[in-house]
Amino acid sequence: MRGNALRWVGYGVALAAVVFAVVLASRFGTDPSLVDSPLLGQPAPGFDLTPLEGGDPVSLDDLEGDIVVINFFASWCLECRNEHQALISTADAFADEEVTFVSISYQESPPASLQYLETEGKSEVTHYLADPGSRTAIAYGVFGIPETFFIDDEGIVVGKIIGESDAFTLGATIDAIERGESPGQSVTGNTQQSPDG
Amino acid sequence: MSDRARNIAVIVGMAAMAITLVFLVATNPSDVDRVQAIGERIKCPVCQGESIANSPSSMARDMMSLVSDSVALGASDDEIVEELLASYSGAVLLDPPVSGATLALWLAPIAALGTGALIIVWWRRHPGEPAEDTVRSTTSSRRLGPLLILGFSLAVIVVVAGFFLQDRSGPATGVADLAGQDLEDVSEETMEAVVAANADHPQVDGMRLALAERYYDIGDYSSAFPHYLAVAESANATGAQAVTALVRLGWMAWDGNAETETAIELFDQALAIDSASTTARYLKGLVLWCGAGEVDAATGLFEEVLAAAELSPEARTNVEADLAAVRDGDTCP
Repeated sequence: MRGNALRWVGYGVALAAVVFAVVLASRFGTDPSLVDSPLLGQPAPGFDLTPLEGGDPVSLDDLEGDIVVINFFASWCLECRNEHQALISTADAFADEEVTFVSISYQESPPASLQYLETEGKSEVTHYLADPGSRTAIAYGVFGIPETFFIDDEGIVVGKIIGESDAFTLGATIDAIERGESPGQSVTGNTQQSPDG
Repeated sequence: MSDRARNIAVIVGMAAMAITLVFLVATNPSDVDRVQAIGERIKCPVCQGESIANSPSSMARDMMSLVSDSVALGASDDEIVEELLASYSGAVLLDPPVSGATLALWLAPIAALGTGALIIVWWRRHPGEPAEDTVRSTTSSRRLGPLLILGFSLAVIVVVAGFFLQDRSGPATGVADLAGQDLEDVSEETMEAVVAANADHPQVDGMRLALAERYYDIGDYSSAFPHYLAVAESANATGAQAVTALVRLGWMAWDGNAETETAIELFDQALAIDSASTTARYLKGLVLWCGAGEVDAATGLFEEVLAAAELSPEARTNVEADLAAVRDGDTCP
């Protein structure tokens, strides 16, 4: 009698263990950095950052009413180099509209980022900013770069591109925001977490 | 074992566990402990399965600095974690959230304990039935139950005490803890935590300066800047410490942001404290030459530096080369 009861308890425990293992296994291979940003649909985190070349700080409040495109970059990021010209040309293309591009240096000293921009070129209408202590990168939940955030004219995060973007994608995303749409998050390629990888 | 002895064993076990838990709860962790504890809950977003407290990456260091600042500002542990969750989602937690698919991770141990407890209770209520396996054939259920409870109590005490001792052997909590140590052997994370927890301590400037120098040496100006600034503005800093901080700030202003006027002003502040500072005088000359094109002023400063008796042979060679170049009208290096 007692042996049967214990046997059934044993079966129950074994079944629970199998279910438990299946649940765990189903999560393997999921890249946590690709989860939807919790910032989507939320007010964009504010910032008040000094330009890489010095001068007056630029804050998100200063850009109120504009669509703001925030790109995190570094000279050590290959994907950032690949998308650099697309960011410049798109920023220039939307210069006459209420669209502002902000490029924030990620995990790099200002001199290194400035050297990179001098070599690769800059957009005259883009704010290139330093992020001491990575406070803004942390506020935006950056896992790796490039990551590009889109903020609508009411200050809400409505889009995010993870990985290298191109002029078509950037332009189409801004067009959608101008129509009042929320493009959401898309993954266009790999990101780099550090100079080593 | 008699009933009385079994009861005493169980009571002693439970009492020991209760005392341990009360001791742990009553112990108020310091800010450094809190920073470390929170850091160990947060996954470094640019690493593979490491906490920000244990990762050497600069991003993890920045996040630890944010946590440290939040603790210093009086934020609760939950508020700090919630702030990071608002940016990164639950993917940044090393402990899985108690919801969704990961709920099973939390429920499984409870279910296992509950099952074990049910088995013990069931055994105790059926003491006279024949045993089937080896253990039950040699040990009556009345004897096994209290022993299992006692063993379980001891296991909990060992585990809890282990966690407690691990926390006690964590990072140093005060400036005095590191006073006798060679700072070369202290990690930057520890130094950051100690500096953050002892911002008003009169002896903290030395550690701040050592930490800033580390960042400076690897070109991490953004991390070095706040520490140099704090030393430069500290009422407790020695003259030598203030001069070093001002000279570094001046050089970073020029080298990092091409702010010639700011750099020269900072070098002048350093020279006002120590008019014999050859480093401040040399760098001021270099910035005047390279940043402002003031060749004559630079020449004069380089000559003054070379007149200083304490200059090392290597430094002397460098300054002589710069002096020759500026006199020849060469562009600055």
